[in-house]
Amino acid sequence: MKDLADHLFDILENSVKAAATEVKIILGIKDKLFFCKIEDDGSGIKDEDVTDPFVTSRKTRKVGLGLPLLKRAAESTGGSLQIYNSEKRGVILEFKIDIAHIDAKPFGDIARTFVDAIYSWPKVSFDIFIQKKNNKKLSIFNSKKIREIVSYSEMQQKEVRDFIYDSIDRELKKIKIDSQFGMF
Amino acid sequence: MKNLEELKKIRDRVRKDLELRTGKHRIKIVVCLGTCGIAAGARETMNTLIDLIAKKDTPDTIVTTAGCAGFCQQEPMIQLYIEDKEPVVYGKVDQKAAEEIFEKHILKGEIVEKYLFSKGK
Repeated sequence: MKDLADHLFDILENSVKAAATEVKIILGIKDKLFFCKIEDDGSGIKDEDVTDPFVTSRKTRKVGLGLPLLKRAAESTGGSLQIYNSEKRGVILEFKIDIAHIDAKPFGDIARTFVDAIYSWPKVSFDIFIQKKNNKKLSIFNSKKIREIVSYSEMQQKEVRDFIYDSIDRELKKIKIDSQFGMF
Repeated sequence: MKNLEELKKIRDRVRKDLELRTGKHRIKIVVCLGTCGIAAGARETMNTLIDLIAKKDTPDTIVTTAGCAGFCQQEPMIQLYIEDKEPVVYGKVDQKAAEEIFEKHILKGEIVEKYLFSKGK
């Protein structure tokens, strides 16, 4: 994984594999920490440490590397990762990364990650927010709202994908999820 | 989310365009996007292919995704399903390879031996 965008795509796939139909994502930067919270309504996790590389839900192989890799990427900057079952249904995953730390991976193209996710799993609803400095949440993408306007096949067209990319990217840049080194 | 009015305008344009094409897919490209594929850069491969479809105007081709196929050392991998032909799997498909495979196999029907991983079911 060369950047955080890759990690993010990888853990979104976990939600999809757990049969989630709705995935809510909150992103923000506070006190030099990039934080991300992902809530899904999938099948949840069993009572075991899924951040252990030798724990996996798959039956073909005994290793699963997505979460352990992200956990290490977070912890190597002094950050953290937690994953737990939600009181309702599904999983809540939170991680924090000190983006000013020398070992922090670059953000990469986070907006592209979301566009790729929306393209790859058209049946999953994504609800993406950014958390502003005053702790207010701002919706920057909502699958359901978009789908009221465009169909699946229209959403896969380049012009629509570009529109979604630009509208997400613009908001991420406003809270500086793109620049990293030298931003403070 | 802002500018939904703008999106409506784009939709109307795209819809007209889609109506002109009878929407049958003859070619399906599956990009493996497991942890291994992502780490190897499969998202770039996928975006290259999606852009090529738009650029070369081949609306009978679609790109979809799958999880890990179990040959992580070969990532990024793509599977190519062409109507009435045996499926073909390519390995180590970076952006450059994706362009070559698109040009030769998808547009001309020639298998690119350099990146060939397996043929048939």
